[in-house]
Amino acid sequence: MITAPVPRARPNGWYGMLALVATESALFASLLATYAYLRFHDPHWPPPGIDPPSITAPLVLALVLVAASAPMALAARTARQRTAGPLIAPVALALVVQAAYLAFQIHLYADDLGRFSASGSAYGSIYFTLLAVHHAHVGIGVLLDCWLIARLRGGLTGYRRTAVGAIALYWYFVSLAGLAVTATILTPAW
Amino acid sequence: MAVESPAPAAAERIGRLDRIWAERPGLSGWITTTDHKRIALLYLATSLAFFAAGGTEALVMRTQLAQPNEHVVGPATYDQLMTMHGVTMIFFFVIPLSIGAFGNYLVPLMIGSRDMAFPRMNALSFWLYLGSGLLVYSSLALGMAPDAGWFNYVPLASRRFSPGLGIDFYALGLILNGVSSTAAAANFLVTIAKLRAPGMSLNRMPLFCYAILATSFSLIFALPPLTADLVFLELDRKLGFKFFDVAHGGDPVLWQHLFWIFGHPEVYIIVLPAFGIATSIIPTFTRRTMVAFPLVAVAELLVAFIGFGVWVHHMFATGLPQMTMVFFAAASLIIVIPSGIQIFAWCMTMVTGRPEFKTPLLFIVGFIVFFVFGGLSGITLAAVPFDQQVTDTYYVVAHFHYVIWGAAVFPLLGGLYYWFPKVTGRMYHERLGQATFWLVFAGTNLTFFPMHIAGMLGMPRRVWTYPSGLDWSAENLVSTIGAFLLTAGLLGMLANLVMSAYTGAPAGPNPFGGATLEWATTSPPPPYNFAVIPRVTSAYASWDDDDRADDRRRLESGELVLETGHETTASTPVDGHLDDVLHMPSESPWPFVLGIAATLGTAFVLTDHYLIAAATAALAAAVLVLWHAGEPAAA
Amino acid sequence: MLAAGCGSNQSITSPVTDPAREIDTLWWAMFAAGMVIFAVVLGLLVLAFVRRRRDDERPETERRAYAVILGGGMVAPVVLLAVLFAFVIRVMPAVSAPKPGSTDLTVEVIGHQWYWEVRYPGTDAVTANEIHLPAHTPVRIVARTADVIHSFWVPRLNRKIDMIPGRSNSIELDVPRTGIYRGQCSEFCGLGHAQMAFEVIVQPPGAFRSWLDHEEQPAATPASGTAAAGQQEFAAASCGDCHAIRGTSAAGHIGPDLTHIGSRNTLAALTIPNTPGDLMQWISNPQGWKPGSRMPGFASLPLSARRALVAYLESLR
Ligand code: HEA
Ligand code: HEA
Ligand code: HEC
Ligand code: CUA
Ligand SMILES: [Cu+2]
Repeated sequence: MITAPVPRARPNGWYGMLALVATESALFASLLATYAYLRFHDPHWPPPGIDPPSITAPLVLALVLVAASAPMALAARTARQRTAGPLIAPVALALVVQAAYLAFQIHLYADDLGRFSASGSAYGSIYFTLLAVHHAHVGIGVLLDCWLIARLRGGLTGYRRTAVGAIALYWYFVSLAGLAVTATILTPAW
Repeated sequence: MAVESPAPAAAERIGRLDRIWAERPGLSGWITTTDHKRIALLYLATSLAFFAAGGTEALVMRTQLAQPNEHVVGPATYDQLMTMHGVTMIFFFVIPLSIGAFGNYLVPLMIGSRDMAFPRMNALSFWLYLGSGLLVYSSLALGMAPDAGWFNYVPLASRRFSPGLGIDFYALGLILNGVSSTAAAANFLVTIAKLRAPGMSLNRMPLFCYAILATSFSLIFALPPLTADLVFLELDRKLGFKFFDVAHGGDPVLWQHLFWIFGHPEVYIIVLPAFGIATSIIPTFTRRTMVAFPLVAVAELLVAFIGFGVWVHHMFATGLPQMTMVFFAAASLIIVIPSGIQIFAWCMTMVTGRPEFKTPLLFIVGFIVFFVFGGLSGITLAAVPFDQQVTDTYYVVAHFHYVIWGAAVFPLLGGLYYWFPKVTGRMYHERLGQATFWLVFAGTNLTFFPMHIAGMLGMPRRVWTYPSGLDWSAENLVSTIGAFLLTAGLLGMLANLVMSAYTGAPAGPNPFGGATLEWATTSPPPPYNFAVIPRVTSAYASWDDDDRADDRRRLESGELVLETGHETTASTPVDGHLDDVLHMPSESPWPFVLGIAATLGTAFVLTDHYLIAAATAALAAAVLVLWHAGEPAAA
Repeated sequence: MLAAGCGSNQSITSPVTDPAREIDTLWWAMFAAGMVIFAVVLGLLVLAFVRRRRDDERPETERRAYAVILGGGMVAPVVLLAVLFAFVIRVMPAVSAPKPGSTDLTVEVIGHQWYWEVRYPGTDAVTANEIHLPAHTPVRIVARTADVIHSFWVPRLNRKIDMIPGRSNSIELDVPRTGIYRGQCSEFCGLGHAQMAFEVIVQPPGAFRSWLDHEEQPAATPASGTAAAGQQEFAAASCGDCHAIRGTSAAGHIGPDLTHIGSRNTLAALTIPNTPGDLMQWISNPQGWKPGSRMPGFASLPLSARRALVAYLESLR
């Protein structure tokens, strides 16, 4: 029998998440490219009767979401380097921020829906689709956080270490994508 | 290479592995299996069934087109057949066969692993694929199949011009199919990166695995634009969004861009595994290593990469700016270089080797002939003004059947012969094999060559009938005859394989003297693939007799046998140093259940039952939690 | 072998105009070069077949093989493709879209499911499925669509241009020879796609002028007899909801303009010849000839009414 050395490479689960992140970034790239395409196709953007989006709230929110990656990164480091340190607490902290972000975003979304509709113009279509896809990603991340915390409460295993790293990677991606989405939808306001 | 009877210690270890890796017997074993080889066989059976369906659709079309003004089927039926034929062949036949069946069976074996990186996700990929196929085919059974062609241009595919559910079957079915392919591609990437046998650094990886690697990269980046496009279409159709509606700021050409940003990489996704098969078969039957191995590996990756920058060549008649067209024409021409390098590398390997033209190699020779011919017609299409003449004529149909049928399917057929002994443990009938090759080869030329002429004579594609007096009749009649000849050849091949599976001579582990690791294990391989994880020192591992003798010695001593659990090894991604021992997940019902849930959920969206669909999604989430409830032992 | 088809009136290899001829030349050049390349590869395969002698994998053999691979797969393609690229760049202007106002005559062609509406801007002339053009005259064709994507294509005259909602594409037709050239829709547009053809009728300029003058006129009102009864029937059967006949109350825009239907060669986008018998069958059962056609059948009208309709339409010359 041989005994396994301490692995040098990242675990499979992390690589799997990397592949998912790669394909998801292509999805966001497609959506953002669609936004740009429609925008340059249409001289009225946003179309008459629709105000350009307000800048402050989305921008602040996006930065808050990015900031929530910090505790995730901390947890990922602890898990990967197998050092002693809190794991549940940083994940829970991130979860609170991310969930709050999502709630606020949904509130803004509902507000926008009250002002103009997704079926009224191509602008509305891509605007609401882009945001909805982003929110769905945040929502799934929140569910992953919950699952992770539930798991970690039962103790730390190799499998759960991998999960922390993978979910952290997911969040880095979602927050960066969130930043790109926000920057894009705010372009008409500049 | 005679099979030696294992010494007592070895036999004991093998017995232990047999017990650890045994799966449930019978039907429930097939449903819960996570064995990549059994999953590959599921893919094989399913994709061949779809092949038969797509082929039958083609035969009905060919019968209708045999003569001018025929009335075998009307346009409503024809358009459905034509669309289903394209969709079936691309999404439900050739990709699942090449990636799902060949990739799944061979990649773990070739890299000396015991399974894929994510065995359960592998099973899920298959069930999603089956679900998407059944979903799309249920539309044909209901008489409301999609009928706007496989690239489904809007506004013809919009709700206004296609009010039925057909297009929704297409769009939602392909979204589901895309999820399946994405999961499969991610699985291959991680498997190839991490699970290679100790010593298999990247430069020792078989070229087939390079091909699958390139394909998986392409899938990962090419599918999202299609998914986005399909989602936009469904939002337009179901909720009245305006992505493609000119009157409200949308643009139908957006559909075309997104479709072809996917669609062109897709055609290389189709052909790359075939390249990989060619580079597996040629060294075996020429008894020498591939000439210019590193060039070929780089060329395979380059084809996949450049393939992302040429999509506009499908849109030369839409009236895009001249500069755009010139750019994309140039990019399309550049693709010739990696293709040409491979063509000449294959040829020179044969010239400098001692080729033995057995059935598999014959199919590869056919492949080279068709790929060069179809590739050259592709070059003519990249010449903008000429394309603007012949686009949407049978000339294009001829081009892509030469490259798809000739260049992608021929190696797959050759591969079926080549690995048949490995999978079944029996030899196919060689003489009959060669006869079917010649039938299929002649049939293919007879079917698709005249289409070039019909196209040059101005025959548009996707016509359900045509008038006499335009000199198209002879070409079409010959095509139809060819299609039936082709079918005869395929049926002969099917008969050969089915009969040989029962009556063929025993094959032994390596009947052809193959070079890659799958030939180092028994035929068929045991569930754990290798009794001992092989160590690798070259790209032609099965020709390294010392290493293989060393494997047998290590089986005696128990080194890297991993006989205490459901385990395999992991290596570092680039150098292939032994890095870890992984406990692999084993059989599970959850992928199957999740596959059903996802298919049902999609069907509910299709029929506008959004609440039930949401409930199904919640159910699916619950299944996922259950799926991950049991953890593999600590690593 | 390809030349054998030169008789077909839709053949790319029997060009009539300069642009079509340039594309044809491009084709034959590519064809010749392609056959040479194909022969080279076939030669290698034959060599592999007859040689069947295994070289040791010695450095010299490997180097020679590399030379062939790089020569055939890289050097030769780079040279050949550079030539091809230059050729393409040279031909592209010849088939590019003409600038608005660059020609004296502009013709608008509008694709419908499944027929072609033809307009002569600056005049009242509207017709369908027949495009009359003067010979020796540059004409700008502007192509648009009323519904889905179609594609305008007359292989012997020029390349094709797609007709896409929200856009218009244009092409120049300058035909030196009088004659009738067949064109066909070449973007899949639904059930009638196969039966969406048209004719370009190139006339001497004088003949064209008089044709256009006549085409501008409103329809003649039949004095009496069956044709006059037909006009009544036309109104009664609400044909005018879909068809326009200039000079009458019929002003529909779903089907082709019928003002001078009697003078057209064919019916329903070249699906059937324009004879009284065929017209009768068409009105009775359009689906029988052109499945999917947007025109409903009028077999329920009494035979006499249909006869009258035919007489009336035939009189609209
Ligand atoms: C297996 C799939 C496959 C492959 C490999 C290819 C390969 C190529 N294809 Fe093809 N193509 C399709 C599948 C494929 N295609 C399909 C399915 C469609 C139609 C979709 C639809 O409309 O439904 C299509 C359509 C299509 C079009 C659009 C036609 C139209 O609709 O108007 C164009 C235009 O440029 C094109 C070009 C090319 C080119 C340049 C290559 C090149 O990669 C070929 C390169 C290879 C060679 C050239 C041969 C080997 C090289 C040498 C021997 C070296 C020497 C050669 C020279 C110096 C020239 N293809
Ligand atoms: C992988 C791709 C693939 C394959 C293999 C084929 C195979 C064939 N295709 Fe293809 N075809 C397409 C992809 C493919 N096609 C696409 C993408 C389109 C465009 C659709 C569109 O315009 O939207 C198209 C369109 C197309 C048209 C044009 C339709 C039109 O424009 O109106 C025609 C016309 O003849 C045609 C004919 C055929 C024929 C005769 C075969 C034959 O080769 C089929 C022969 C096969 C069989 C008869 C099956 C028999 C199999 C078994 C019995 C099981 C066998 C088991 C073993 C061998 C082990 N096809
Ligand atoms: C619902 C709309 C509709 C009505 C009502 C209708 N038509 Fe039509 N008609 C069409 C359309 C659309 C076409 C073009 C069919 C095609 O080519 O696909 C057409 C074509 C024709 C043509 C051939 C024109 C050509 O240039 O090829 C004739 C003639 C004709 N209709 C006569 C009639 C008569 C007579 C009536 C009434 C009895 C009638 N139509 C009622 C829609 C209509
Ligand atoms: Cu109009 Cu095809
Ligand atoms: Cu392409």
